[in-house]
Formats: sequence, structure tokens, C-alpha cells
Amino acid sequence: MLELRNITKRFPGVIANDRACLTVGAGEVHAILGENGAGKSTLMRILYGAYQPDEGAVLIDGEARQLTSQRQAIACGIGMIHQEFMLVQPMTVVENVILGLDGDIGLRLDEAAQRISALSDHHGLGIDPHARVADLPVGVQQRVEILKLLFRDARILVLDEPTAILTPQEAASLLDTLRKLALQGRAIIIVTHKLNEVMAVADRVTIMRDGQTVRSIDPAQSNEGELARLMVGRPVGRTVVRPKVRPGARILSVNGLRVLGATGGDAVCGVDLTVREGEIVGIAGVEGNGQSQLVEAITGLRRSSGGSVMMDGRNVTHATPLEHARRGLVYVPADRRHVGSIAALGIDDNAMLGRQEDFTRGWGLFRDRRRIRRHAQELVERFDVKTPHIRFPAGKLSGGNLQKVIMGREILRDPRLLVVEQPTRGLDIGAIEYMWSQLLAVRGQGKGVLLVSAELNEIRSLADRILVIHRGRFLGELTPEDADDELLGLMMAGMAAKPGTGPMPDRPRN
Amino acid sequence: MPILRKRMAPSDTLLTIVGINAVVVLCALAIGAILFLPYTDNPFAAYATLVESSLGSWRGIGITLNRAAPLILIGLGTCVAWRSGFGYLGFEGCLTIGAAGAAWYALRPFNAEIAGMAGFLVFLAGAMAVSFGAGGLWAGGVGFLRSRFGGNEVLISLMSNYVAAFFVQYLVSGPMRAEGSLPQTPRFPLGTWLPTILPGTRGQASILIALVAVFFVWLLMRRMRLGYELQATGLNPQAARYGGIQVGARYVLAAFLAGGLGALAGLVEVLGTQHRLLDGLSGGVGFIGIVVALLARLNPLAVVPVAILYAALSVGGDALQRRIGAPTSIIFILQSLIVLFLMASELLRHWTLDLSGLRGKKGTGDV
Repeated sequence: MLELRNITKRFPGVIANDRACLTVGAGEVHAILGENGAGKSTLMRILYGAYQPDEGAVLIDGEARQLTSQRQAIACGIGMIHQEFMLVQPMTVVENVILGLDGDIGLRLDEAAQRISALSDHHGLGIDPHARVADLPVGVQQRVEILKLLFRDARILVLDEPTAILTPQEAASLLDTLRKLALQGRAIIIVTHKLNEVMAVADRVTIMRDGQTVRSIDPAQSNEGELARLMVGRPVGRTVVRPKVRPGARILSVNGLRVLGATGGDAVCGVDLTVREGEIVGIAGVEGNGQSQLVEAITGLRRSSGGSVMMDGRNVTHATPLEHARRGLVYVPADRRHVGSIAALGIDDNAMLGRQEDFTRGWGLFRDRRRIRRHAQELVERFDVKTPHIRFPAGKLSGGNLQKVIMGREILRDPRLLVVEQPTRGLDIGAIEYMWSQLLAVRGQGKGVLLVSAELNEIRSLADRILVIHRGRFLGELTPEDADDELLGLMMAGMAAKPGTGPMPDRPRN
Repeated sequence: MPILRKRMAPSDTLLTIVGINAVVVLCALAIGAILFLPYTDNPFAAYATLVESSLGSWRGIGITLNRAAPLILIGLGTCVAWRSGFGYLGFEGCLTIGAAGAAWYALRPFNAEIAGMAGFLVFLAGAMAVSFGAGGLWAGGVGFLRSRFGGNEVLISLMSNYVAAFFVQYLVSGPMRAEGSLPQTPRFPLGTWLPTILPGTRGQASILIALVAVFFVWLLMRRMRLGYELQATGLNPQAARYGGIQVGARYVLAAFLAGGLGALAGLVEVLGTQHRLLDGLSGGVGFIGIVVALLARLNPLAVVPVAILYAALSVGGDALQRRIGAPTSIIFILQSLIVLFLMASELLRHWTLDLSGLRGKKGTGDV
């Protein structure tokens, strides 16, 4: 049905795709597996017409096609669902679906709505065409995206990291839908780096590495270990050894903290938590449930509206980031490109961000450039940052290397408590392993770590205690032993709380 | 066979950058030559006159440097403000306020009799402090409005230019007006005038003040901790806040410094050239200085040559008007063409000349 033949695409300084090949048949769910920077996204952009290949051909039903725009790709039956949805939030489903379609000047919304209902029933999507998109949960919004493509009769559906922002239950339901669509003779391509999804749903998997398509195999004939090895290019250990550490004194205690959200309501509705020495406390939750606001309030980047934050028995509820850092509370933010670093400055200047007072001479007026350079050099060497030189712009580093710079910078401050948010989001397996080992090393030194993550695997591998956050409240505390994926998933979706260990979501608190 | 090929990455060798800039300036001059045709048979002779009158003699150089000094100071102010993420456009106002401050100080009775170098330096330090402070507070107010209330500094600073202009108009026609028919202050005492530093020319100490300011701005931005914090704020306020930098306070400080630098441009204007405060003093310098800084890519060191070239063009333009009667608007067109071409020339760095198709053998050019 679809063939990409020897696609080569060059960008300044890199070859994004190097003679990449892909064959997808009708009725097939085809996974494209690869680490970040392996060239998956570029290949998909070529497929839906956003990029032109420098060499190679796109064949649809055996016919070579020049796809120069997304509109043309749609006309050829190729539809794309991006990681970030392309939906107009205040509009209804039907308005979103017909957006961009050619047709009469007058809108025939009722006709379209009927067709949407029919399609939704036929495919079991359960979508009300007149619902406002903004009111729909993320999982349903994704189904609206699928519906958009079905409405346009797309025969080849491409989904980029489709489960990244879904709860495990939503993800399972999505994969189920994809299987059904494939059974009707459509071709489904999912781009992913999650091995379990590949094993669960794909008929074939094409593995990409360094811009090349390494192998195309049937996952049933393989196993997760082999796929991981093909993807990374070397054997990888997927289990983490968490040595026993006896937790020490309490470092951080948060009592009844409340934070206002953007829309006026409480984003964080009075939460309690403690972190002790030698302990990693994990906060699990689907993104957007108040965990960012909670962390920003703790670290002094956002004002809390009630409750208190205590560091080593001292009230630091309204301390600034600098005052926190002096008491040993440092923070690795989720957005490493826009908050954690300054893209235009070099590694050396980024290595002193937050520590500009430490690297001065002449009564604190001048930068001590020699010590800044030495510090950056040490950071690069100790944390294995791959860079041509220390003046290299931070914005041009890969995600993993940039995260090493930020994580390393904060660890080198020798903190009491390290607050990390989504530390491995978007990183490849090698970098994830590295970050995990660093966090465990910090814990081993008797420091506290507060880890916020949406990755269940990460939380379960690292945390000594797990708090699940949903709509700004904790739904209870779990140990990694009783936290299986299903219970965590249900709690993250707000559908269960561990009895006896925490407040139920609807119980009012003061 | 295409002759132009797109580069993978923009060329950034020194040769390319200097080469491209030289070529596009020549292109602008060639187009400008057409405008001279109604006034002279030989436009290139006109250009020769232009260069000769502005840079070809000590006298010309003196005048050119006098005109370059305020441009440099405004350009420096732009570097500080814009690099800190503060899109300030109020340098006309700062210049005017700074000139008023310097004038007020120069006209104090205790400055009437200044004798000797030491006396003058004491006076100059006082005048610079008053002028810098006045301009700094003027612009700092805009910075405060932005950081405290979220006001738009572009609009507020543009509008404040008018307030400053009318305020000085009020001063020279009211409280500070001298006897006589013109709305202006009395002439400053002789001892307060900036001395000439190039013997036999009109070249004054204003260029020295500008160059010292260049050094301090360079020191601030490249060597001082405050400069790092200002630039971090300008490049990424979110990251700066995360790094413990008080972003709001840095905006106010950047505005204060920029306003002070702009005010010094007014100081050299009144103490060097006019020797009195009068209406309509700035005449667009406050905006041309911004253009100078942009052409210098907000680099305080590059501001100096760009400002001198700009000043030379306008000095030469005045000379052309006197000699061949060509209107100075030609020079404004020429300056605008140069700015436009330089801005557009950025594109050229992404292309390379590939003559292999013409010659049948391999060869690539740099442009």
C-alpha cells in the first residue's frame, strides 16, 4: 500500500534520513521504533508532505508521488496525528472536523454532524459531535483527531507518540481502536519509543537508528530485549538496582499547600508531603494535574495561596529561588530548553545560571571567567556531556546532553534536597539510564529527592514512596512494591484511591 | 545548471561577512549615484567630495567625530536596553532631558567662573552626574511601569519622547529663557564648554566621553556579573527567574543605564556644539542611534565604526549641499538604502555561487 524507498534527507550538519526504507501493507499496524534523533519524525514529515526528500521516492499503491504539502498527502489518503493536537479548543467537534475542508461557502453543520455520529458509532469512538473540544478529556480529543482523518477518508494513519500523554487505560483503549481500524484494511503507522506498545499492538516493526532503517521484523518473532538492543545498538539493562538506604532526618515538609491555577480555581488544593534524607519521593500523575504548580510553589517560582513549606524546620513558604538555593533546595525544571537553560548562551554561561554570585571577584562585581571555565569543564567531564567545547550554545545540545548540563549543575551545588520534574522526558534509553543512576547516587549520599514524573516505570524504579496526584490532590501514598501499573493508572485517572492511606478525592479538607 | 546554490548552514567566516557588507554598501552607493545625476555630470566625483569633506581632512574628521559622539552614546544605550530585553525607543526624550539637566547645571551661578583643567573636570563630573541621573530616571520610570504594571515599554517610551520635547520647549520659553527674541537659554559660561582636542579643528572632547562610555558598557556586558544577569534576563526571562535573578529589577536597572547613556548624548550636544539649551535639539539622533546599534548587532565595540560611518555620510551630505546644491534628502535616502541592503544581506550568507555549470569545472565563490 505504501512504500518509502531509499529516502535521504540532509539538514545543515546532519543527515536526518540515510537511505531509509519502509513498506506498510493494508490492514497492518506498523510501529516505527527508535530513539530521539533517530530520524523517525523526519521520515514521517516526508510522508505527509512537510519535507521533500533529497533522494528517494514515496510510492502509494505502487505509484511514485510527489507530496509537497499536507493537503496533497490528505488527498492521497495519508493523515497525520501529531503529538500536540491540532484542535481549536473553543470550537465544537463538528467545527473542528470540517475545518479546512473544501466545499460550499455555506456550512452544513447538521449534515457533517450526522456523518460524524455515524462514523463514531461505526468505529466505537463514542464522540458527541456537538461537544466543545476544550471540555473533552485528552484521550477523547485524540479520538477526535482520528475522526478528523476518517472523515477525510484517510487510508494511511500516522500517529506520532500517540500514548505519551494518556493514562495506561486510555492508551490501551487507543491501541484497541487502532487494531480495529487496521482490520478494516487501513494502514496504521505509530511512531514510538515504547517497547511494550510495539509488542502489544504492532504487526510489524521497523527500527531506526542514526537515520537508517536498521531492520523490519515481526515483533511476535522477537522480544523486548532484542528490540531494545536493535534500537540502541548495544545491549541494555532495563532493571535498576535500588540499594537500601535508611531514611534520615526530615528535610522538607509541606503542609496544606494551596496554589491558585490560571483559571482562578485551585490548581493545588491543600497537599501535605515530606521528604527525608536518603529518600526519593515520587509524585506520579498525568501532566496538568497540578504537579507543576506544586513544584513551582515549593521552589519559589510561584506564590502559594495557603499552607506552608518548611526546610529543616525553618519556614520558607515565600522564599525566593536564590534563598532556597542557599538553604540547599535546588530544582531541575521540566522545560529544560526554556526554563532550565538559556539556549543562546554557551555551556559555560549556563553552568553558572543560578550561581552567578558564586563565580565573582572584585567585590562580587566581576565574573571570574577562569573559575567559570574550570567549573564548566568539570561539569562537562564529570557528567559526560558530549560537546565540541564548553562555549558551545546550550540550545544546540541534544536533549540528553542538555539535561546532563542542567542536572549536573544542580548536583554540583551539593544540595540538601533536589527537586526534579520530568527528568527524562523525551530522552533516549542511554540518557534515561544515566539520569536514573545520578538520582540514585544523590539519594545514596543521604540527600533528599522529590521526583515528579508521568512515567510509571520511572516512578516505580526510583521512588521509595509514591504519591499519586489527581486534580491537585494526592490520592494516597504507595510503596513501589504495591504500586503495579494498573493501580497506579487507575489512581492517576482519579478512579481509585488506596483505602486508609489518604483522603478520597471528594472529601473536603481544611 | 543553477548558478546559485543554497548552503547547508549560513557562512560565517570573517571574509564572507566583510565581503558581503562591502558589496551591498557599494550597491547602495551605485543606486544613490542615479539620484546625483540631475546635479552633477559625474556622480563619482560627488562621492569623492563626500568622502573628502568628511574624512579627507583633519577639519572634516573633527566635525565627523563631533557628530558621531552622540550616535555612539545612543547606540550604547540601545545595546544595554535591548540586550536586557527592554525594547526602549525613547532616546529622543532621554537626549532632550539629559541636555536640559546639563544646561541647568552649567547655568548654576557657581559654575560661572571655572578656571583650569581641574576645575573643568570637577564641573564635567557634576554635569555628567546630573545629566545621567535625569535621563536615567526618565527612562527608569518607563522600566518601572513595565515591571510593576506590565506596561508596554515600546509605546510608553515613544510617547514619552513628546512629553520630553514639550517639557524642554516649556523650559526654554519660560523658566530658563534668556533675554531676547529666541526661545533659548542664555549662553553657557565659557569655562563649561567642552574643550577642543584636535588642534586646529572643531573636534571636541565629546568623542572621548563616548569612547570612555564604550569601555564601561563593554566592561558591564562582557565582564561584570550584572551584565550576565541583564543578558540572561533579555534572552530568557523565565530561565533568569529560575536562576534567581530579579527580572523586574533588572528591567528597571537596564532602563536607567540606557536612559543615562542617552542623556549623555544630550550633554555633549549642549556642552560641545550648542552651548545653550534650545528647542528641537535632538533632530532624530535618538532614532538614528538605535539604527546604528542594530547595524552593529548590539555589540558595543562595533557601535563605534558604524556611528563614525553614519556621521561621515551626514557631514559629507551637508558639504555636497553647499557645493553642488544637491539636497541633503539624497543622503537620507542613501543612508536608508544602506540600512535596507545591510539588513537584507543576511540572506546572502545562505547562498553560494556555483560557477561549475558555466565553466565546466568545479569552483565555488564565497558570496
